[in-house]
Amino acid sequence: MTALSNLEEDFILKAIEESKRLDGRQPYDYRRTKIEFGVERGCCMVHMGDTRILAQVSCEVVEPKENRPNEGQLFVNLELSPMASTTFEAGRLSDYGIELNRLLERTVKDSRAVDVESLCIVAGEKVWKIRLDVHVLNHDGNILDSACIAALAALSHFRRPDVTVIGESVTIHSPQDRDPVPLNVHHIPVCVTFAFYHKGKRLLVDPTEKEEKVMEGTMVVGMNVHRELCTMQVTGSMLILKEQIIRCCQIGVVKVSELTELIKQALEKDKTARAEGKKFGFAESHPKKSITSKVIPEQTLDTSDVEDEVSRIMETAELPEQVSSKLEIKKPGLGQIGDGLTNSWLDDGDADEAEEEENGNSKEEDEMEGAIGSEDEDEEEEEEEEEKKMIVTKPKAKDKRKGKSKAYVSDSEEEETFTLDNADLDVIQGTKSQKLSEELDLTAALKKPSDKTKSRGNTRAKGGKKKWKKEQNIKDRP
Amino acid sequence: MAASMDDFEPRVVLPGDSLMGHIPGELHGKMTLGPGLRQDETKIFSTKAGILKRKNPHTFWIDCHQKRYVPAKGDKVLGVVTQKAGDVFRVDIGGQSQAILSYLAFEGATKRNRPNVQVGDVVYAKLLVANRDMEPELVCIDSSGRSQGLGVVGSDGFMFRCTLGLVRRLLLKDCPMLKFLGEKISYEIAIGMNGRIWVRAKSIHTTIAVVTALTNCEFMSEDDMKKMLRKLVAAGFHDSRPKPN
Amino acid sequence: MTSNPENNSSVEIRPIGSLQSCISKPDGSAVFTQGDTSVMAAVYGPGDVKPNKALMDKATVTVTYKPKIGISGVREKALERMIRNTCETVLLTTLFPRSSVDIIVQEIQDAGALLACSINAACLAMINAGIPMKCTVAASCCMMGKDEELIMDPTKEQTKDAECVLTSAIDSSAHSLIASSMQGSCSVEQYHKLMSVCQKACDKVFEFYREAMERTLSKP
Repeated sequence: MTALSNLEEDFILKAIEESKRLDGRQPYDYRRTKIEFGVERGCCMVHMGDTRILAQVSCEVVEPKENRPNEGQLFVNLELSPMASTTFEAGRLSDYGIELNRLLERTVKDSRAVDVESLCIVAGEKVWKIRLDVHVLNHDGNILDSACIAALAALSHFRRPDVTVIGESVTIHSPQDRDPVPLNVHHIPVCVTFAFYHKGKRLLVDPTEKEEKVMEGTMVVGMNVHRELCTMQVTGSMLILKEQIIRCCQIGVVKVSELTELIKQALEKDKTARAEGKKFGFAESHPKKSITSKVIPEQTLDTSDVEDEVSRIMETAELPEQVSSKLEIKKPGLGQIGDGLTNSWLDDGDADEAEEEENGNSKEEDEMEGAIGSEDEDEEEEEEEEEKKMIVTKPKAKDKRKGKSKAYVSDSEEEETFTLDNADLDVIQGTKSQKLSEELDLTAALKKPSDKTKSRGNTRAKGGKKKWKKEQNIKDRP
Repeated sequence: MAASMDDFEPRVVLPGDSLMGHIPGELHGKMTLGPGLRQDETKIFSTKAGILKRKNPHTFWIDCHQKRYVPAKGDKVLGVVTQKAGDVFRVDIGGQSQAILSYLAFEGATKRNRPNVQVGDVVYAKLLVANRDMEPELVCIDSSGRSQGLGVVGSDGFMFRCTLGLVRRLLLKDCPMLKFLGEKISYEIAIGMNGRIWVRAKSIHTTIAVVTALTNCEFMSEDDMKKMLRKLVAAGFHDSRPKPN
Repeated sequence: MTSNPENNSSVEIRPIGSLQSCISKPDGSAVFTQGDTSVMAAVYGPGDVKPNKALMDKATVTVTYKPKIGISGVREKALERMIRNTCETVLLTTLFPRSSVDIIVQEIQDAGALLACSINAACLAMINAGIPMKCTVAASCCMMGKDEELIMDPTKEQTKDAECVLTSAIDSSAHSLIASSMQGSCSVEQYHKLMSVCQKACDKVFEFYREAMERTLSKP
């Protein structure tokens, strides 16, 4: 989001020319890398400097692919979480994300690091599908290397349920019955990323995010400890000499052995912690002495007064009204459940005493869907109900409004209320037999809005009729 | 007997804490509420988690650790020019929206004599307008038309980001860190209230050293700072070292 | 973590832990653990917002919940909505019109009480980011098992046999209910019982927030 300024760019490039890096590393040094495992099997978190990656392995039984009936499946999914950087969007994978995904897949899957034939349960019918989810939690450069380490560490850490096949029957044992079985990991391919600068003359290993922004191109070399090359990719706008490639591979050999050693040590540490019954998991690896971390042990809650409090609440609080849900059919296409609100238009002072029961209201709204012919009448009934609603909710302006359009709860007392008396009610209900000329009077009255009421928040999505204050005008009518 | 106001000790508060519970003694007359405190009818409560501090006689504020900058009028900030649009530059200052810097807000700038500012340059400017409803506006001159050190920052040196707490600490009167550094290393510095600091020293080596020293010193005591500086000098980061080639 | 049905005077909550400012990029971040359940939350804000999503009078709060396994589905959307409504209630959104507050919640380990842990992590992350808030919010989870057995902060296995599981979020200033999510069925009396136990547990979480902040702010 925030682009690098020319100043920063120039400085970093000049520093690289002098073989200096911002954090004081040598050009071929990796940042401090830490590997932690969680309580669940197959859960791994990698810290590489400030870059954080979380990987999780899971499995399920599926049908194998048609062209490979004897092999299990390995599915690799890398997600650039919006947590990692403001440039990452949730859901959509950018070009960068797709590239990383593909590279990770090639390194882990295509190099046959995991033996997929051993994942077969019944040939042609049931195989294990291993799913690897890698989440990038913080982006400070070199996501690929750390994602690779996390992936391979998680795959080595994972245990799948044990399976026995006797003739036709297949039994998948739960972890309580039989110890889960590790995956068959042949070798550990690790990626080493090189960033190139100054027309390919200078290179850095493990670039940070700022260094990545100013680089000309990058080369990824994936290798294992046996000096077998698993992946190689060169991206960017530069031309490099073949001597550079050989040099990078040689540097890669050294780095890969260091990183593989780290993975093995972390796996060993976790294994001994589990075997000896000590605590393990992420919580254990938090730096306890740091002031940013805090842990409190298990504590008990005193619930001795809960019973008393509950009985007190039950006595003092009002129980919600029981709602009758009997359907009355008034006429074809018009049904009613409940009685609705009591008519508060008859007395002026009843607005505050109106009941809160809105169940009748909402059910009557449902009847709108069914009404076909008598639209006018229904609309007016609807208006009535809505107006009743308006009167009811105004004195308690802070209640949440159940309108179709969600409005911001307004504490304003500015909205005016209005009431229609019995005569007006008859007028409205009798409109279906009215002649046009009489209706014209109504519209004339509407054209003289002496007091407008702005219906904020209660405009229905269907039409949005505004209520005019008709009180004075209608009273004038004969 | 109510405790007197002099007994007030800075203490940790969380959002939603009412100020009344933390101030001993009675409160008379006017009270000045600084950042992090808010009044809601009769109640005064804190909106951030931090340390409640007081300056005589009745000024309170909350000191908190924060990374994100919220523009405030009068702050001097370091911004990066991202766009040239018509008569203005759009400058990114790290807030919620980009700020505007007019072509004419530079010393000696007229309609014909445009300032030499390119996209990607770093400018040290002052916030003229900064409230939540409007886009912030920057100027590189003061009210009399002189630049007073504001303007485009040179093409040398390095700019890095830090927390707002570090910036406030460095801008205190008699900041020990800057003085200690200055005794051994000669350097130029521009501190932006938006958590960005620009440093320039004689060589890349020394600049990196100064940047590292400043980033690490936020929570150090004076003794720790002196120790770190001694280590830097021992590693050769001072002016008498010949420039590495 | 269970209560003796005969001596129903106390229930236990699992150890609570937190880690603040754990990642460098976001403006605020925190990891919150309850027993083995661990959730990481990160906050970016107040920041830029797309013009079509900008609100004229307040900040747009968005929550993204990322599960550990698989892609986000309907369940995650429901969690996002719950967390969003809770966070929007406590943030002073009117101080930042036309800006956005993005909260990202990542599940690290799920061993029960996931929604409660997520809300707590989000609240800690917002405190860490220094975004102005009206008050803090804490959530806790409580279940009613067979024979009216009240279990506080249940694990995943315990919730499998539950009659009713209630997660509720309480605010720190008025101790009133901000959000509540219930699965299963129970009588009105049982509901009130669960609610008051949840409130007590939330008080413990508020104490924890205070202790954690005092520790973080202990250096000058």
